[in-house]
Amino acid sequence: MSRASTTKTEGRGSKASPASSVVLSKEAQAQLSRWPATAQRLLTELLEDAASDLQRELLQRAVAAGHTPNEVHAFADQLRAMGDDDAFTACTLDESAPSDYTVAQLLRAEADPLYAFELKGGTLEPSDDEVPLAKPPPPVDLNALKRRPSSGFVADSNDVGPLIREEPTFTRRPAAASEPHAPFSSGGTPSAMIEDVFSEATRALGLEWQESEVDVPGGLSLETAISDSAVALSEGLPVPLALGAAPGKSGRLVLAIQLSVSGHNRAWQLYDPFSNELVWANERDLLNRNELPFSNKVFRRVTRVVLPSRRR
Amino acid sequence: MLDELDELRRGHVTQRHLDDCARTMRRLDGSAKAAAHGIRQIAETEFAALPALHALLRRWAVRVKSDADVPLLVAHFERLALVSALTSALHRAAERLPRSLR
Repeated sequence: MSRASTTKTEGRGSKASPASSVVLSKEAQAQLSRWPATAQRLLTELLEDAASDLQRELLQRAVAAGHTPNEVHAFADQLRAMGDDDAFTACTLDESAPSDYTVAQLLRAEADPLYAFELKGGTLEPSDDEVPLAKPPPPVDLNALKRRPSSGFVADSNDVGPLIREEPTFTRRPAAASEPHAPFSSGGTPSAMIEDVFSEATRALGLEWQESEVDVPGGLSLETAISDSAVALSEGLPVPLALGAAPGKSGRLVLAIQLSVSGHNRAWQLYDPFSNELVWANERDLLNRNELPFSNKVFRRVTRVVLPSRRR
Repeated sequence: MLDELDELRRGHVTQRHLDDCARTMRRLDGSAKAAAHGIRQIAETEFAALPALHALLRRWAVRVKSDADVPLLVAHFERLALVSALTSALHRAAERLPRSLR
């Protein structure tokens, strides 16, 4: 975990927990919905009592990672006694980590501070009183998704949409492809301004890039752009995106680095090297076209996407 | 990952080094033991003159414990190279955006 990634998932995708001004991420909310009411109220108190934003963020991530209420409570008790520097050190694995930890353990520790805390030798003493949780939502069955006809991700549906498609993933789109969600009639050609810059940059790695404007005539609908980008991210390929105030107005370039799937929700990690911000944005926020968790709120929506394809 | 890239940049590791490293890592054998040995070999024979990259490879090599770790680690180094290349490209591409929109 890096300090730059103390995330800002605020925005329309998040909401304040009851009787609290603390804003919870959608991932944390998804887990929290399974907790009994008393445990949820306790978490509210823990977040309000937390000594700093860093500690609140660590607790949120522990909730989002699926830890039980008792574990989160015990974690909070440990953190309360620490300053920010000590808490960060206690929950971050770096090159000083013991050599017998595996790659998988290290990558998990990046996302789950409670797990990292225990890996580093921290001990928690959760209460023995078992807190029954609601049944978790069924995990996403990727094999079933593969067999489903490609339908894309619809923000208000319960379907996650296919992460891996059977048809070739990245083929050049015709200029006026039919788009079921496109708000505009076809016509005109999308202007390619920047794709060659990315193709040149990744030539040695065997990747080419194709650029598409979003929500303009002849371009992709945002829903399709997000769906295609999610496919690339799920295969480990970052995706450059342009953000702007309105379709056709690309004012800022960012990089979508990775995707996090939690139940029916997907969160995107976006990096803006110009303002040096690294944020998590819920996919619903991207699709709402209204607000993103960057500090500059002018760039509120995706206006251009640059998708990868393997060089033949 | 961004912290690793920052460390590599401060160690004067160029994009070409990252690309070469990613391509070389793709050739790693599937078994954990062979891969760990292979990574150490790569560090010694190809990147000994780059302390930052050499150290990073050796740090990860000791953590390859199971066969499942191997493709994860190969993917990690590919993403390092990609993120680095694309981040640099973002700056160049931004100059192409109409000034009035920036």
